[in-house]
Amino acid sequence: MSGTPPVPRDDPSPTPRDEPGATGAAGAPASSDELRRLRALLLGDTRTRVDGIETRLEAMELTPEALAERLPEAIALRARQDRQLGVALAPTVESAISESVRRRPGEFADAIFPVLGPAIRKAIAETMAELVGSINRAMEHSFSVRGLQWRMESWRSGVPYAQVVLRHALVYRVEQVFLVHAETGLLLAKASPPDLAVPDADLVSGMLTAIRDFVGDSFAQDAAAGGLRTFSVGELTVMVEPGPHALLAAVVRGQPAESFRRKTQETIESVHAQFSNALTEFDGDSRPFEPVQPLLQDCLVTVLDTDARPGASVNWRPLAIGAGLVLAAVIALSALSAWRWRRVIAALDATAGLTVVSSDRGWRSGSIRGLRDPDAASPGATIAAAGGDTLHITQRWDPYLSLAPDVVIARARRALGEAAGVRYALRGDTLVASGHAALDWVSAVRARASLPNGVGATDLSAVGLDVPAELDPLVREISEARVLFDVGSAVPGAAGSASPSALARRLSELQARVRDLGGDVELGLTGRSDGSGTDAANAALSQQRADAVRALLAPRAGGATIVTRALGATQPLETADPAARARENRSVSFAVRLLLHPSVR
Amino acid sequence: MIQKKVCMVGVFGTGKTSLVQQFVHTRFSEKYHSTVGVKIDRKVVELKGGEVTIVLWDLAGRDKDEDIGASYVRGAHGVIYVADGTRKETCEQVADLQRVATAAAGAVPAVIALNKCDLVADWALSSADEAALAARGTLFRTSAKSGEGVEAMFLAMATALIASPEGA
Repeated sequence: MSGTPPVPRDDPSPTPRDEPGATGAAGAPASSDELRRLRALLLGDTRTRVDGIETRLEAMELTPEALAERLPEAIALRARQDRQLGVALAPTVESAISESVRRRPGEFADAIFPVLGPAIRKAIAETMAELVGSINRAMEHSFSVRGLQWRMESWRSGVPYAQVVLRHALVYRVEQVFLVHAETGLLLAKASPPDLAVPDADLVSGMLTAIRDFVGDSFAQDAAAGGLRTFSVGELTVMVEPGPHALLAAVVRGQPAESFRRKTQETIESVHAQFSNALTEFDGDSRPFEPVQPLLQDCLVTVLDTDARPGASVNWRPLAIGAGLVLAAVIALSALSAWRWRRVIAALDATAGLTVVSSDRGWRSGSIRGLRDPDAASPGATIAAAGGDTLHITQRWDPYLSLAPDVVIARARRALGEAAGVRYALRGDTLVASGHAALDWVSAVRARASLPNGVGATDLSAVGLDVPAELDPLVREISEARVLFDVGSAVPGAAGSASPSALARRLSELQARVRDLGGDVELGLTGRSDGSGTDAANAALSQQRADAVRALLAPRAGGATIVTRALGATQPLETADPAARARENRSVSFAVRLLLHPSVR
Repeated sequence: MIQKKVCMVGVFGTGKTSLVQQFVHTRFSEKYHSTVGVKIDRKVVELKGGEVTIVLWDLAGRDKDEDIGASYVRGAHGVIYVADGTRKETCEQVADLQRVATAAAGAVPAVIALNKCDLVADWALSSADEAALAARGTLFRTSAKSGEGVEAMFLAMATALIASPEGA
C-alpha cells in the first residue's frame, strides 16, 4: 500500500479554499458537529480522499462469494493481456495433477480415457502407416535394378541395407535441431533422431554463433537483414532461423523443402511466445528450456521419395516391347526351325532305302543317324529338296539292304548293266522287263547264275530282241534278197534272182552266229505274184513259190526256223520303176527275226 | 545444466591458446583463429553446488589491443584476460582490453591470468605492476607449460560466475 498516490500539496481545488471561509465564522469546537467541521477545516480535501480510500479498501476485502463472481472474468481478462497467468498457475496445476494421479489413479485414468484412447489409436495408426510405407519401399526396391544396386552397395560397404535405402530414397532428413541463445551463443536445447548422436552440441552452437557474427561483421551492412540464414556443407544444409532472443538452427541432410523453412519460422515464434521470460532472463541455466523439446522434436522430419518414378516406368515400356518382339521372333524362328527339321526327317523316312534311327536338333544344326541302302537316293539331295540345306546337319548312315521295290529295281538295274530300251517293274519278287534289248544282253541276263537281292526271278518275255550290230550286214543282205519267178511259174531262177543256194549259205552262217549268242533265227518267206490273174490263182501261186524256196533252203538252214506266208497280189512291193514292178512282185522276199534259244527261254 | 560464456582475451603471444589447450575439451582446430578469429572450447568445472560448463571463446590475439572482435565478447558472462609476465606491455594492455570488453559485455566477473610463471625469473614486473593488475580482477599466476594455477584460475572464474550472477 505504500504505492498509494501522494496527496498533491498544491492542489488548486476550490472546495477546501471555500470551506474555511464558510465554517470559520461559526467557531463551536465543543460539539461533535463542530469537531467535524474543524476536522474538515484542518484536513481539507485530504479527508475526502481518505474516505475514498476507505471505501476502496472495503471493496477489496473480497468475500468468497464476490471472488467467485469475479474470478472467471478476471482470468479471461488477464489471459488476454499476457501469459503470466499461465506461467503462475503452471506449477500449481502440475503439482495438483501429480497429486491427483498419485492418490486416485483410477479416477484419473477414467477421466483422461476419452482423450487417451483416440490419441493412442492415432499414434498406432501413424506408426502402422509408416511401417507399411517402409515395407512397400523395401519391397519396391528389393526387386528393382536400383534395389539390387543398393544391396551390392550395402554388401560392399558393410552399411546396413536400411541405411543405404534411406540414403538413396531420402529427399531430406532433419538430423539436428539447436535452439541457441542469440546473445551468448549458449545452447538452450537440442534434438536429434535417436540413431544420431550429436557430440559437442554446445561447442557447435557456440561456433555457429561465432561464425554468424563473423559473417555478419564481414559482409552484412544491415544487421536487421537477419545475417547468415543458410549454408551448405556437402550433403548437409544448415538452416538458421533467427529470433529476437534465440535462433533455431536445423542441420538437414538433402534438399529441404520450402515448407520446412516455414516450420522453423513457426517454431522459433512459438519458442519466443512460450519462453519469453526465460529467454530474457537467461543466465546460463538451460533447465527452463527442457519443455521446449516437443517443439524441436516436431522439426525432426524425414521426407522420403516414396513416389513411384514415372520416368523409370516409361523407360521400361519400350524395353519390354522390344524384349517381347525379340522373344516372339525367337519363338517364331524356333517353330520354323522345328517344322523344317520335322519335314527333313519325314522326307528322309519317306525315301526308299533310307531309315532314320535317331535325330537331334540344335538351334542352327542337327545330327541324323540312320540306315542307308547303297542303291537308295542320296540323303543330301533329299534334305536339300525338303528345305533343310540351310542347316548344318551331321549325318551318319550305316549300310543295309532294303527290299523296297524302287531300291530293288535300282539294284537290279545296276547289277544287270545298262540297257537303254528296257523298263523294269517288280511283280512280287519277279523282275518283269519290257522294251527291247540286244540279244546278247538278254541272253546274258538269262544266263546269270545269281539275281540281285530282292529279285527271285526274271521275266524277259516282253523284251524285244535287237540284232547285234556285228550281225547287221548279214541280216541286211538276207532281208534285201529276192528270189524271182517267171510269169505263172513257181520255179525260182528268173533273170536277176538271188541264188537260193547262196541264201542258204548266208542263212546257215547267221544261224550259227545267233546260236552262239543264245538265240535262233526265224526266217519269214513271203510269196507274191503280179497283178494278172485271179486272186485265188495268185494266192495259190504265191504259196507255191514260198514253199518252193523253203524246200530249197530248209535242208541247209543250219537249224534256223523257216516260216512262209502267201500274199498273192494283195500287198505288192512298190518299186521306183513301174516296168519292173510286175517282175519284182513275182518273188519271194525274206524277213529275219531273232528268237531266244529254247535252252535259255 | 548451467553454462557460461567466458571469453579469453589477450594480445598476441600471451599464451591464451596454450593455456586452454591441455585443460579443456577441444573440438575445433587452431585454424579457426586465423579464419573466424575465435575458437570455442569447453571446460567443465566441478563446484560444490554442481557443475558448471564454461564455454570458452578463445579470441585470436591481435597486435592492436582494441581490435579483439567486440561482437564475440557480446553476451559473455565472464572474461579472462591473459597477460605475459615476461612482456610488461601485455600487462599494461589489459586495461585497454578490459575497456573494450566491458563496453561489449558489461561489468562481468574478470579473472586475470598472468601467464608464463614458469619463467618468473625473467619477469619484468614490479610488485606495483602486479598489484595494479590485481585491481582489475582476480589475479592468478599461471603457466601453460607446467599447468600451474590454471585449474585454480578456471575454478575461481566458475565460482565468481555462480556466486554473483551478472546484474543484466
